[in-house]
Amino acid sequence: MTELTLQALWSGVLLGSSYALIALGLAVVFGTMHVINLAHGELVVLAAYVAYTCESQLGLNPLLAIPAAVIVVCAAAALTYLCVDRIAKDRELNSLLLTYGIAVMLTNGVLMLFKADIRSTKSTWLTDAVVMGPLFSMRSEIVFFIVALALMALLWWWLTRTWSGRALRAVASNRDAARLMGIEPRRIELASFVVAGLLAAFAGVAIYSFGVVSPSLGTTLTVKAFVITVLAGMGSIPGVLVGALLLGIVETMTTTFGSSALQELAGMVLFLVVLFVMPNGLFGRART
Amino acid sequence: MMRMWIGRAALAMSFAAVCGAALADEFLVGVEVPLSGALARVGTGMHEGISVAADVFNRKSGKHKVKLITIDDESSPAKAVAAVEKLASQGVVAIDGGYGSNNIGPASDAANKAGLVYITSGGVDEGLTQRGFNTFYRINNTAGYSKAMLGLLADMKASNVSIVYLTKEATSALAKDVDKALTAKGVKTTMHPFDASVTDFKPIVNKIKLQDKPDVIAMVGYETDYAGILRAAKVLKPDVKAMVGVWSLATTKMAEDFPDLMDNVYGTALLPFPAEFTTADGKDFADTYKKLYGKEPDYLGQFGYVQSMLLFEAIARAADNGTLKSGGVATELRKTNRDTLIGRVQFDEKGDNPNFSHRMGQHQGKKIAVVWPAESANAKMKFPGVPW
Repeated sequence: MTELTLQALWSGVLLGSSYALIALGLAVVFGTMHVINLAHGELVVLAAYVAYTCESQLGLNPLLAIPAAVIVVCAAAALTYLCVDRIAKDRELNSLLLTYGIAVMLTNGVLMLFKADIRSTKSTWLTDAVVMGPLFSMRSEIVFFIVALALMALLWWWLTRTWSGRALRAVASNRDAARLMGIEPRRIELASFVVAGLLAAFAGVAIYSFGVVSPSLGTTLTVKAFVITVLAGMGSIPGVLVGALLLGIVETMTTTFGSSALQELAGMVLFLVVLFVMPNGLFGRART
Repeated sequence: MMRMWIGRAALAMSFAAVCGAALADEFLVGVEVPLSGALARVGTGMHEGISVAADVFNRKSGKHKVKLITIDDESSPAKAVAAVEKLASQGVVAIDGGYGSNNIGPASDAANKAGLVYITSGGVDEGLTQRGFNTFYRINNTAGYSKAMLGLLADMKASNVSIVYLTKEATSALAKDVDKALTAKGVKTTMHPFDASVTDFKPIVNKIKLQDKPDVIAMVGYETDYAGILRAAKVLKPDVKAMVGVWSLATTKMAEDFPDLMDNVYGTALLPFPAEFTTADGKDFADTYKKLYGKEPDYLGQFGYVQSMLLFEAIARAADNGTLKSGGVATELRKTNRDTLIGRVQFDEKGDNPNFSHRMGQHQGKKIAVVWPAESANAKMKFPGVPW
């Protein structure tokens, strides 16, 4: 029983860290612009397909495909921002429709380019088992667990210790007041989309390295990221980590001690209970 | 002069009659398949088989031709219904295709309301043939897959089996069928249902490893699920003798995409790989498939080809009998009784093919060997054997 519990916890932590990596980008954009980027999951999928192209065409290890994925996905994220920026009225609502449209276009673009086949890495180095006593995992899961923690630390440092990070928080807090302080909100919002693109690029390569990707995966990822963002408290970075880990652990515990058929239900029950007890999420503050 | 004019007029009239007949003999066939969305891969595979069948039929049939009108149902039941309704309004004589029991159910219902035959190989849910439709036909079913899996497990003398299955209609039905039959034989079974959103199978496989301790892990899902289960099993290395799956597993695509996960794994397979077609029909199918798509045919193409050829032949017979517009296609399909690439096909009163029985293949190196039933086997199974 101990062995089973420890493995469930370990799998939950690894799963949660991958969820955090996916949800961070969505949380950053929402935190700054109050825009829910419904194409975020598709950006993650785009990165996964860049990794697939680099591996299948150039023989590169998916880890070496990260720079290419960052360039492609950041460019796609910037283009998404340029479209969102053209919305003159009711940006929060209209951006939902716009980003949903972009998501559909990206899904079908990937489908046309890469067909509907499922893809995953062929690198045995990444998929080989790493055994630490009673804990089993793939090497890629460990690698991206460390990467996720490092990226979150870096993001936290950027948001709290750099001028541009503080400017981003200022825009998130009050766009008009930030403008009066000499901050150009559009530039900051563009930066938030590019940062979200960067995080999506890492998340996509991670999923390609330890999971299986297909063109239609994006919607599932967006929904998962959205649940975590709300669970965390809108825009909270530490909340994303805690929320994602909590969700990952609840899911694996349900599978281990209940049934995996109830995994999704357990995640949603957690989501509802947290929102019932803490309506602003785990780390959210009441909006005035 | 007058005679010459009469001759010319007669010639012109007979030419017009020939053209008219030729036009009248080109039948529109509606194809409703998922070419995008979650089922895009399997839908595309089936569509390739349907297109090959149209090519072969049009080449071989002197009198009748078929023209396909394809609509992508985007893997959505609502869009599948809309596709069938649109095809019906365009004057098609029957509907070919469909993938996923949850899409096929409402789509074939719409076809039935429009009085059109609906033929498929993409849905094995038992409920589909229990609706009393005279218009619904399918060439494969759960019983055929279950028979193959149970036959292989019996040959392995498995006494303890863990069944990991996706909680969709078709996969659940098959898993429960297998569980019931194994339990009746005194085999110990443990069921592990999982939701389609599950991506990490380590907690399930760990439970199997530490609690069930089975001889065999039976998997009932789709490609993504098999890859996840096998990858988790490769990490946790449970002490089992075999990993057995069903559809979409013993394929060359899986061998190419997951070379480290497939060796010794079993799945349903109509043919070994490299494919060995012995009949004239099989060779025609394989040659046309390679010509059109530049690759080796797979099982999805084969199923799509067989269902379509049976449909086109029934349409031609109904046209010859003059019953095309009075339910003749359904009547002619019911008379079907012939050998095909998937074995003998007949349709019972529910539109099901009672003769359907699959074969089991095993990944052996870069080849896929048919290992069950004995009369179709081209190699011995490597047992015990797992990919790790």
